Amino acid sequence: MTERAIGQVGLALVAFAVLVLVAIGADASRRRSQRAGEQPSIDLVAHRLPAPDLALSGGARWLRSPGLEEPGAAFEEGPAVPDADPAGGVMAPPRAIWVEEQRRR
Amino acid sequence: MSAGPSPTPAWLSLTAHAMRALWRRRGKSFALGGGLMFAVALVAAVLFLADSLLAESDRARVAMPDVTVQRLVGGRPTVLSTADLAKLGGIPSVSAIRPRVWGYLFVASLQGNVTVIGTSPEDGGNLSVARGALAEGRDLAPGAHEMIAGAGLARFLGLTLGDQLGLPSPNLEAPPLKLVGTFASSVELYTSDVILCDVGDARALLGLGAGEATDFAVSVINPDETHVIAKTILDRLPGTRVIERDLLGRVYRLAYGRRAGLVLAATIPAILALLVLAWDRASGLGPDEKREIAIQKAVGWSTSDVLWAKLGESMLLSIVATAAGLALAYAWVFLLGAPGLRSAIAGWSVLFPEGPLTPMVDGGQLLSLMLAVVAPFVGLSIVPAWRAASMDPMEAMRG
Repeated sequence: MTERAIGQVGLALVAFAVLVLVAIGADASRRRSQRAGEQPSIDLVAHRLPAPDLALSGGARWLRSPGLEEPGAAFEEGPAVPDADPAGGVMAPPRAIWVEEQRRR
Repeated sequence: MSAGPSPTPAWLSLTAHAMRALWRRRGKSFALGGGLMFAVALVAAVLFLADSLLAESDRARVAMPDVTVQRLVGGRPTVLSTADLAKLGGIPSVSAIRPRVWGYLFVASLQGNVTVIGTSPEDGGNLSVARGALAEGRDLAPGAHEMIAGAGLARFLGLTLGDQLGLPSPNLEAPPLKLVGTFASSVELYTSDVILCDVGDARALLGLGAGEATDFAVSVINPDETHVIAKTILDRLPGTRVIERDLLGRVYRLAYGRRAGLVLAATIPAILALLVLAWDRASGLGPDEKREIAIQKAVGWSTSDVLWAKLGESMLLSIVATAAGLALAYAWVFLLGAPGLRSAIAGWSVLFPEGPLTPMVDGGQLLSLMLAVVAPFVGLSIVPAWRAASMDPMEAMRG
C-alpha cells in the first residue's frame, strides 16, 4: 500500500467520524420533528392528567408524581416507617421478587 | 513525454505516518481507543437519556394548569372541599378553576398502583384515534361506566375493547368499568398506568364524597401574574399547598439531574480507568517511541515535524474513538431503549412504558462533547512528544 493510499485511509476515517456525528444530528432532528407533530395529541391528553410526571417511576405513589407529592420528605410512608424504596428508586429490585411474592400469597 | 506521479503532500504523508505508527502499536492503540470509546459512550448515554426525559416532562407541562392547589393536613396531602371554590372567586386574572378528582389504587395482581383520573365533558377536547390520542376505541360517554386505559396497563392485564374491569376499591359499590379505548403510543410515557373514567366513577373508585376533590386546577390569563395569584390563594385558603407550573419544571430538572448525577458517580471507576490510560500518555513515551522520534530527528525531521506527526496520531485516535463512543451512546439510548440504564435514570415500574425516547442532542452539543474529549487528549499527548523531540537524537537512541 502506498503512502498516499494509507494517508487517504486515515483521512477517510476522520471523514467517517464526522459523518457519524452529522448522521446522529440529522436523525435526532428528524425524530424531534416527528415528536413535535405529536404535540397536539400530547396536549389533548396532558390537559386531563393531574401532572406532567412521566409514568416511569416506581409503583410507590410519591415516586409516580414527584412533582405533586412530597419530594425529599424523610419517612414518606409514615413516621419512622422505613422507606420501601430506599435511595430514591435508583436501582430496581430483581423482577423475580414480584413472582416470588405472588407465589407466597 | 508524460509527467510522473505528483508528490504526496506533506500533510497526507504525516497522516500516513500517524496511521502506520498507530498500527505498529496496535495493542496500545486499541486499548486506549476502546477505553476512550466506552467512557464517552457511558457519559454521553446518561446525558442523552436525562435530557430526553426532561424534554418529555416539559412537553406535557405546557398543557398543565398554571397553578395547582392542594390541601395539607399534618403536612400530608388530603382532599379539598369543593365549597372552597367560593372562597377563590373574583381573583383578578384567573380565567377558570377546575376541581379535579384523581388518585391511586393499588392493584395486587400488578403489585403496583394505577392512576385513576376522573374526567367530565367540561374538560373539553374529544379524545379520538383520528386526533392521535387513542390507539383504538373512542372517548368516554358520560355516566356509562366506561374507561380508557394506558396501553401498558391494558397489555399487562390482557384487556381488549369491551372488557369489564372491577378495580380493587375501598368502596364496595364502585362499578366495574368497560374498556372503550386505549391511549396511543405517542402518549404512553404519560399514560402507561392511567385509567381515565367519568368523574363520578373516579369518586366511587377512590372513595371521595360528592363535595370533595383531589386538587384545584387554576388557569391564569396572564402567566406573569401567577406568583401573585398563588399568594392570594394562600391568603384565602390557609393550609393549602399551591404549586406553580414553573416550579414543576424546576422539580423535574432537579429529579433527573440528581438521578443522572448518581449514575455518573457510579461510573467514576470507569472514568478513572480512562484517566489512568491518559496519564500513561502524559507521563512519558515508551522507549520504542523515543527511539522512533530520535531516528526521525537524525534523518532530518524538525521538532515541528515530530510534533505534527504526534498531533496527527492523537487526533486520529481520539476523533475516531469519540465519534464511535457517541454513536454507541446514541444507539444504546434511542435505538435499543437504553437497556440497563433506563431504570437507573427514569425510575422503575411494573407498568414500565415502552414508548420511544426523543433525542434532544443537536450538532452544537455533539461538537462540544467531541471537543471536550479530543482537546485534552491531544494536549496530553503533545507534551511528552515535545520533551522527546527536544532531546539530543544520539542521547535518545542510547536510551
